[in-house]
Amino acid sequence: MLPITGRIVFEGFRGGRFTNLFGLGLGAELLYSFLIIICSLMIYSGTKEIYELSQHKGIKYFRMAFLFFALAYFFRSFIKFILVYFNVKGLFEISPMILNPIISQITLVVFMYFSAMAIFYLLYSVMWKRWDSGIKIYLFHLIALVIAVYSVFSRNPFSYIGLNILLFVFILMITMISYKNSRKKTKGHNPYAIYVLLLFFWLLNIIDILIPKFLQVFQLFIYLASSGIFLLMLYKVLKKIGN
Amino acid sequence: MVKRGKLEIIRDILLTTQKNHNHIKPTPLLRQSNLSSSRFKEYFSELIEKEFIREHISRGERFILITEKGFKFLEKYQAIVNFIDEFEL
Repeated sequence: MLPITGRIVFEGFRGGRFTNLFGLGLGAELLYSFLIIICSLMIYSGTKEIYELSQHKGIKYFRMAFLFFALAYFFRSFIKFILVYFNVKGLFEISPMILNPIISQITLVVFMYFSAMAIFYLLYSVMWKRWDSGIKIYLFHLIALVIAVYSVFSRNPFSYIGLNILLFVFILMITMISYKNSRKKTKGHNPYAIYVLLLFFWLLNIIDILIPKFLQVFQLFIYLASSGIFLLMLYKVLKKIGN
Repeated sequence: MVKRGKLEIIRDILLTTQKNHNHIKPTPLLRQSNLSSSRFKEYFSELIEKEFIREHISRGERFILITEKGFKFLEKYQAIVNFIDEFEL
């Protein structure tokens, strides 16, 4: 009998898993991640000049948010690759004999940390004037790290999703308060609607990673809507900086 | 009167220098920038550090000139302000 690793590789090349690897499933996943990574990196590099000239903290945190989105989606596509290749529902189901658990767990920690920090940076870019202190951003790094480590040690996707929903409600409340104090509330010109949508689809993307079958029916809609939001953000950024 | 923001003050200092044919002494610049002496010193040091302006000695007198980076800032100022405003940063 072949060792399990050899059998998996052999079966993979024989058909089933290999078809999944290059089929629509993973192809769509990679295309989706690629689109969001490109949008995020274009926002990051497109705002480089105005940040270097102004040294404005809001622009700095805004750029950092999109850099972290790009990193988070890179690791997300890596997790999706593992899930599709090994044909499992969740990272915790992969046998230690097939893939070293340290690799999958570190990938999950890194993904969770980067995605939480992307959201925190976006929040901080809007709130920095009220919270201005270098310490607070380190506090957010610490919270993101705790969330990431918790997601691996709890080994229960539902408790982690509960934690993220709480975080979502907390950030939503801050965004709403910030919107109320906003200088401009003109319809169609307010960024808060996009920020809330980014938050919402960030949550759906996390659910999609931790419980892949849970949102499978809506997966195409989630991917299209998320891509649309990032493209809209990129369009608004490029329009404003005049590139 | 609305308090000027940091970016606006930097723009005003650079515009004042530009209006004086990019060649102005520190004292008239201080007077025309509508800042206290201590705040002007802070901004002056910052602008030198950021390489937006540079000092030039001519016939024993000190003059201030805008650098290429300073002109770039003036050119991009409106885009920077619009961007900050658009995303409420």
